[in-house]
Amino acid sequence: MFKIDYKKTLKFLASIKMAVIVIASIAILTAIGTFVEAKYDATAAKKLVYDSIYMNIIMVVFAINLTAVMVDRWPWKIRHIPFICAHIGILILMLGQFLTSKIGVDGTLRVEIGGQSRLVQLPQTDLILYSSFDGNNYTKIIEREVDFFRNPPTVEKPMVLLPDQADIKIKNHYRYALASKEIQASDNKKLGAGVRIQITNGQANFIEWIVQRNPYTKANVDLGPLKVHLGLLPESGKGLNEIYLQAMDNGKIKYMLFDKSSLDPKFTGELEEGKSMATGWMGLELRILRFFPQAQENWKIEKRDFPTPLTSEALEVEYKGKSQWILLNDTVKFFTDNAVYFLTYANRRMDLGFNVQLKNFIVDKYQGTMRAMAYKSQVQIEGYGEHEISMNEPLKYQGLTIYQASFQDGPMGNPVASIFSINKDPGRWLKYLGSLIMTLGIILLFYFKKMGIGQKKGS
Amino acid sequence: MEMKPKSKSINRWSFKVLLASLMLFICGFSSQINALTLKRGEALRALPVQSDGRTKPFDSFAREMLELIYGKQKYEGREAYEIIFTWMLAPQVWTQKELFEVRNHEVLKNLNLEPSKRYFKGDELFGNSKFNDLRTELNIKRESKEKLNPYFQALQRLENQFFIFSEIASGKMIRLVPPKEGTQWMAVADLQGDLQAQFMEVTKAFISSIGAISEGKAVSVEQAEKLDEQVLKFKELAKANNPELYADQTRIDTEIHYNLFHPFRWAYILYILGAFVILFAWITDKSKPMSLAWVLLGLGFLLHVYGFLLRSYLMGRPPVSNMYETVVWVSWGSLVFAAILEKVYKFKFILLAGSIIAAFGMIIADSAPIVLDPSLQPLEPVLRSNYWLTVHVMTITISYSAFFLAFALGDMGLIYYLKGEKKHHEKIKAIVTAIYRAKQIGVVFLAPGIILGGIWADYSWGRFWGWDPKETWALIALLGYLAILHGRLVGWIKDFGMVVSGVLTFSLVIMAWYGVNFVLGAGLHSYGFGAGGVEYVSGFVFLHILLVVYVTVYRRQTLGK
Repeated sequence: MFKIDYKKTLKFLASIKMAVIVIASIAILTAIGTFVEAKYDATAAKKLVYDSIYMNIIMVVFAINLTAVMVDRWPWKIRHIPFICAHIGILILMLGQFLTSKIGVDGTLRVEIGGQSRLVQLPQTDLILYSSFDGNNYTKIIEREVDFFRNPPTVEKPMVLLPDQADIKIKNHYRYALASKEIQASDNKKLGAGVRIQITNGQANFIEWIVQRNPYTKANVDLGPLKVHLGLLPESGKGLNEIYLQAMDNGKIKYMLFDKSSLDPKFTGELEEGKSMATGWMGLELRILRFFPQAQENWKIEKRDFPTPLTSEALEVEYKGKSQWILLNDTVKFFTDNAVYFLTYANRRMDLGFNVQLKNFIVDKYQGTMRAMAYKSQVQIEGYGEHEISMNEPLKYQGLTIYQASFQDGPMGNPVASIFSINKDPGRWLKYLGSLIMTLGIILLFYFKKMGIGQKKGS
Repeated sequence: MEMKPKSKSINRWSFKVLLASLMLFICGFSSQINALTLKRGEALRALPVQSDGRTKPFDSFAREMLELIYGKQKYEGREAYEIIFTWMLAPQVWTQKELFEVRNHEVLKNLNLEPSKRYFKGDELFGNSKFNDLRTELNIKRESKEKLNPYFQALQRLENQFFIFSEIASGKMIRLVPPKEGTQWMAVADLQGDLQAQFMEVTKAFISSIGAISEGKAVSVEQAEKLDEQVLKFKELAKANNPELYADQTRIDTEIHYNLFHPFRWAYILYILGAFVILFAWITDKSKPMSLAWVLLGLGFLLHVYGFLLRSYLMGRPPVSNMYETVVWVSWGSLVFAAILEKVYKFKFILLAGSIIAAFGMIIADSAPIVLDPSLQPLEPVLRSNYWLTVHVMTITISYSAFFLAFALGDMGLIYYLKGEKKHHEKIKAIVTAIYRAKQIGVVFLAPGIILGGIWADYSWGRFWGWDPKETWALIALLGYLAILHGRLVGWIKDFGMVVSGVLTFSLVIMAWYGVNFVLGAGLHSYGFGAGGVEYVSGFVFLHILLVVYVTVYRRQTLGK
């Protein structure tokens, strides 16, 4: 019979040979990771290398090796102190990193200037299917965590949702897709209207589609000083510069224009495709370039080999023999005779438990340039008052740390939203403790050598 | 050995050369000391300009601009500030001169220009019908937000050269007067009233003095004084416009001093001299010249520190935030570690290795301004006012100093293996000890340095370890050295292995230090990114690998006999 020789096994696990193999493997694997990151991006490196099964295996072996080598030296003597410190330090450090990755939170929070938010976007992705019989009230019927980046569905092996009822097939996934919207007229009465507007005054020129999800919802575009809505006309204005458009059954569009001075509409009237109206602000004119009473939005997808800031993940979904694309953090609708399905592919969202309101966002520039010197967010936190968060000056609240990560520029080039990184790191103290012990060990190693303690050759 | 008498005479001769060069150095140095204050007729240098987010002397501005367009800080022996000023006076003359440096062959091919040439006339480049096509091509690439490859980076530089030259020529980029409101200074083109009139006076005085030079005559004292006087008057008027925003004169003067004196250059000259003295002492096996070497290196060291202090004062931060500054810092560290180890072991060659690296590093830093940008630049938001940043960068890079020292010692070791392993057994033993110590010092700094990087990342982003390529490669280098030290501990790696690994493992450091920014070009440390020099650096690494292979094969053969 084959018997495990425990002593021999321990000797091997604790051997320097093992250590050197492990160290070299970590070095090679992480080096590959940096090349993957250079070629693709940090997410790809993380998913394909740093969080891969190979890396995890090596780390486990490394931990075993570090433990075994210490067990092997038992009983410890004084001369072992630096050696024990250095190795235990690394173990604690790894344990801390493990805790962080398992139960830590690392998400992003986007808050518009003047607005508030409490939903943190996490890196995990979920596929969620809702259904509705009246088009207004939706019930969640499927919620599933997916990692299409690592395990993409294919035509041969699609992911099927509700195979008996809806039979929605997810049959393709692009890691990097360049998407452009394609809007088509449809005769499905459950769809909302779509208008393509142009706002111009000879210098500024802005062209955009506005599409309603269904005939009852509102859609809008925000140009900063001016907002254009598509949906039901309101009873009164909000004291802002706004234009409301409402699609009519006769193929025309009713409009209402409000400005800052009054809650009553300044102008009302009707428009149709090709017609325009003067807004009365800065010589701007609004023209209806295209109008579909029922508009169907589709993504036109181009596959890319490498990511850029413009690419996104994309999924191809088939329903009743018809395929369409859906991007990450995007939704798609399917209609049956008596129900509507609503499918979203999105990053998981976590409720902070309190609102973060962005009162103001300030970008300091280096003198006479557009170069940012510092950015600061003035936030009002529910139950915690007003605070300033800036680069390198995070805010701690309820075990979470809120960091200034970046900001988002609007179409006019001025910042419209601040982006925070939200972190909770239960492994932090272990990482600091481990670092401290390890560093102490390394320093002691030198000190002991100099003092002639622990002069030992080989093992 | 019969070599001895011959080498003695060589040594005597070289000692004389050394003394002579030392004398020359002292003369040069003292003349520089005298020139700490501006010469007559050079007041223009100290005229404050606002550019790239700070106020600086016109001298610095001009050097940076000429560097960008011509690739050097002087044009045909003329000072940058004179050249830049004349661009504004006579742009059409300058577009006829071969002033614009273009190094990318593909760009030149697309412009139908001679790829073997390096400098081109503005008319050839920007009047070229293809130039606009290339700009469109660059814009499309930019719109796609993809990473720019070297070809597009070269196009970007070309576009920049065009932009900067035309902006300077039209007077729109030379911002000399603080505004009454706002922060952007008024450019020459926007000046009005008294300021405009006074600037005309400056121009006139400048033309008359430059006219004298172009006719081959010396500038008269009156001409020079007139120019200084007009510049001074202009300065007063500019300051009066908004005294609070106007540049601090002490800082401007200090920067002029930094530019003109250039302490780093004197430091490496002293290092080279010091290296020669040690070489002399080492070959002749005398210890007397060593004290001279210590003095030379000590002086160089002081100047090196002085340069650091000047840069820190000018920028208000420790100078370790870009490639250039880390090269200067690492050179400094190598010398410090070499000196410490030398004090302990007294092997001479340790200090020799240290001074060679220090000189080598400083010369590289000084001679490749396109790759290693020496200009004083404001920091990205994330790098500002951060204590941990400074500490972690300084700790990690100082470990590179120790590894660099181990590398140079490894090279020396290889040479001894070639010269005969048995004959030089003792020297090899000594070198191995020094390499071992240098590697250990490196590890002692690198491991905590990486951890400090984690603390910084935790403090700034809430991520202790995020697999950022710069940090990751520092870790890989650490793992490399740790593997070697462990291998040595159990006797796998013997003397030859220590020498070879001293050279080879340094490739990991080169990757972490230079490669991540210039080869990989990804990650959070992107503020330090640049382009260029890849062929030289990889050549350097490759040659050393070849050397190692050659010595290994040679050793196998000789041992086999």
